[in-house]
Amino acid sequence: MIDRRLIENVDWFLIGLLVLNSLLGVVVIYSASHYVPGDYHWRQLVFIGASLLALFLLLLVDYQVLMTFSFYFYGAVVFVLLIMLPFGRFISKGSWIKLRYFQVQPSELAKVAIILVLARLFSEYKKNQVSTTAALTSSGLVGLPFILVALQPDLGTAVSFFPLLLGSLILAGLKRNAVIGILILAFLAGIAGWNFYLKDYQKERLSTVVFPSRDPQGAGYHILQSKIAIGSGGFLGKGFARGSQSQLKFLPARHTDFVFSVIGEEFGFLGIISVLLLYYLFIRRLFRSAGKSRDRAGVYIIFMVGLMISFQLLVNVAMVIGIFPIVGIPLPLLSYGGSSLLANYLGVGLVLNVKMRRFANI
Amino acid sequence: MEKYKFYEDLSLILSRTNKVFAVVSLLILVLVFFCWKVQILDYKKYWNLAEANRTRESVIIAPRGLITDRNDIILAENSASFNASIIRENCRDYDRSLGEIGQLLEVAPEDLKTRIAKFESLPLFWPIVVKDNLDVKDVSRIESRRLELPELTVEIDPRRYYPFGSLAAHVIGYMQELSEAELKSEAYPEKSLGDMIGRTGVERQYESVLVGSDGRRLEIVDSQGRSRGETSRQEPTPGHDLQLTLDFDLQQRATQLLEGREGAIIVLDPRNGEVLALASFPTYDPNKFITRFSPQEWMDLISRADHPLENRAIRGLYAPGSLFKLTMALGALNSGVISEQTSFFCAGSANFYGRPFNCWQRGGHGTLSLADAIRFSCNVYFYNVGRRMGIDRIAEHAKLLGLGEKTGIDIPGEKEGLVPTPEWSRSTRKSDWYPGETISVSIGQGPLVVTPLQVAVHTAIIANRGHGVVPHLLMSSDSPQVQPSGAASSGPAAEKIKADLFDKVIRGMWKSTNEEGTSRGAKVKDFGVCGKTGSTQLVSRERAEKLGRTLKTHSWFTGFAPRDNPRVVVTVLVEYGGMGGATAAPLAGQLFSLYKEKNDRPAID
Repeated sequence: MIDRRLIENVDWFLIGLLVLNSLLGVVVIYSASHYVPGDYHWRQLVFIGASLLALFLLLLVDYQVLMTFSFYFYGAVVFVLLIMLPFGRFISKGSWIKLRYFQVQPSELAKVAIILVLARLFSEYKKNQVSTTAALTSSGLVGLPFILVALQPDLGTAVSFFPLLLGSLILAGLKRNAVIGILILAFLAGIAGWNFYLKDYQKERLSTVVFPSRDPQGAGYHILQSKIAIGSGGFLGKGFARGSQSQLKFLPARHTDFVFSVIGEEFGFLGIISVLLLYYLFIRRLFRSAGKSRDRAGVYIIFMVGLMISFQLLVNVAMVIGIFPIVGIPLPLLSYGGSSLLANYLGVGLVLNVKMRRFANI
Repeated sequence: MEKYKFYEDLSLILSRTNKVFAVVSLLILVLVFFCWKVQILDYKKYWNLAEANRTRESVIIAPRGLITDRNDIILAENSASFNASIIRENCRDYDRSLGEIGQLLEVAPEDLKTRIAKFESLPLFWPIVVKDNLDVKDVSRIESRRLELPELTVEIDPRRYYPFGSLAAHVIGYMQELSEAELKSEAYPEKSLGDMIGRTGVERQYESVLVGSDGRRLEIVDSQGRSRGETSRQEPTPGHDLQLTLDFDLQQRATQLLEGREGAIIVLDPRNGEVLALASFPTYDPNKFITRFSPQEWMDLISRADHPLENRAIRGLYAPGSLFKLTMALGALNSGVISEQTSFFCAGSANFYGRPFNCWQRGGHGTLSLADAIRFSCNVYFYNVGRRMGIDRIAEHAKLLGLGEKTGIDIPGEKEGLVPTPEWSRSTRKSDWYPGETISVSIGQGPLVVTPLQVAVHTAIIANRGHGVVPHLLMSSDSPQVQPSGAASSGPAAEKIKADLFDKVIRGMWKSTNEEGTSRGAKVKDFGVCGKTGSTQLVSRERAEKLGRTLKTHSWFTGFAPRDNPRVVVTVLVEYGGMGGATAAPLAGQLFSLYKEKNDRPAID
């Protein structure tokens, strides 16, 4: 049974911020999709309910227990990702597994497994500087699912594993030279990927970040339309459900990856500031929770969850305002989509879990 | 740090956490800066781009298939129509602009409002058609005020057009906008708000054949809703054409003959069931539905006492009256209760089950044989026949001869009529059948009701000596989806009733027309018309009184020609037309003569 003191230690303020952000998402999803069939806003509400339930269920189990089993979770996720490759043609569509009533994206849930397994690895590592062995092990642990997801191909989700690795290494104590080295390596990998891996449309997207108006009807089109939507919103915006760009079906993926453009167009700069402020408060509360952890593993978990959500936020917003290539990373909590929402809720659930069990004798 | 002293020292990784958080915060600030640049500094630039750079997806309506008569005279086609539309977001002052537009288009502002309310769910920039079929004058008036009224635009649409207006309106049917409820029912997945659909008649029956698949056009429009070029286009696929079995001349003559009356006329080819003419009067102009009624016009049309929208030929239920004597005669001969020589004495009235039943001839017909009884349409003769047969055998033969069930014509809404039986009386009316009713049914009264089309098919069965037909309107189509209904097939009547019995009844019908008889008004020289009249007492006196008419009977005639190898059946019903011989038979005579003129030079008999 769960102890009463545990319930008292649940961070309700954090849950409040989480739900507030999600409900804001429902409002924007409604505006972006109410004129097409699908009832996306209602479905998102159902996803929120289900994710919240999953979050509370996660609180019942001590995160230490979860970490003990982390290698099993990790193994299961890798196994699913592995069988999705050859059988993908029959049961899945790219990164999605089709179930009877809905689809799940295992690559999103992989993030949670990676967080747990890295926290387990580094919790036993108490030196101030990271060793080569630890660096290689952790790189391997993240690299395997990274490759599997990138092959699906879902570059966006795969890339979002990377900050988890880099972040945990930094936390474990990486020399300045090593950080620089990793970044150079990533750069070289990028060049290699450009030449051997990236598909033409992805190259187009990357190059049009620099020159969005070079080909307005092609790859630069999305970025330009997104910028027009945000820019034409001005200070106060055009009003709820009145953005001509988003209502005109002019924006691609309005209710998923480009939901931020709808906010920009319909609620203006004021709306964007408010939303970013909400996110800032949420992320700050996440990172500050690290101080409430009773052990090293807890700090790692909280840190990586904070990083996971920050990374998605930064990349998505940078993407829709045209300073980063379009890689298909959703706006955390606000974009339509159940898998991404569930992964973020489970992440926050882990943070709450660590925070409420901060006294060692419980 | 004090609070960590019982635990391991986490201060180092916590300070690293804070550093990373600081970096994240900084990056969020960078994003705020970029948003500020895009939304505040470059606001004008992007606002202009947004205004100039809107796309609008519009539907290119696929032309609907043509409908022609058997000689390729076009009965339904498509014509270009100019529509006036309102773009709500361009209205500066909504009420004032509706007032001005109403004045310009000569439409009441309230009507505009109700029309726009129907389309509330569409985005504000979407043009809503408020008046169509504009004439050139309207178009130029609108164009001249283009700058004052940016919310009013003119578009060209293909529209259904019926060149002969009300001619054959009940066969072809009409088209109407889909209601919002219908769109939500998901029965029409391809349709959207404002689309038209065939509501009745051939337009509805063959909707899936006539309708093409609409194309789509994605165009860039400016803030005034004006097109600035297309970005993509998907061409529409036109619908399939239909050729109907109708004969334009016969149809036109039938409609003219009914002018000023209420009733129905059917001309049928008994050999294959092809409907050559099917007219119902009063009628309506189906073009009016396309051009969108004003609410007042619509109310007038549906509340009129003489029901112009109703297709009397397939939906009007009437007592067959004396027409039913044909069934009685055939049934009685077939059951062996009488022979051709059997005679009865008519004194102008006779008592059955303690109640007197009258003949229409007050003084009586004297002693009559079967052929004369048909020829003079004597009631008393058939009262006696009916009493001998009993209701069950009467009903059995009525069904064999095409009454009491749908004919299967290929337009929707056909009624079944009613051939009463004691079982029907018990199950539907919840009362016992009493024998006096059998006597009434014997002369086609009582609960017995039929549609004019059933009578036409009934006549075709007699003309074919028992072989039935399925009446149909579709002659041919270039669509593989539909095939015309089958031609004459040997029906159950041919198996159960001997052909020579038909000849005996037909002899009476021939006499009725060509010698002194009730049908002589339908006589056409050298065409061998065989016919039967009917004059039915009104089922409801109240309705007649409400309409303020003198109480006249419904006037029937049905017949075919020539006597051997029949090629045409004509059925005429005139409501409150008086005696069948006086009103309906002469109308039929004109149609027989027109048919003969068209098809029979030189005459063969």
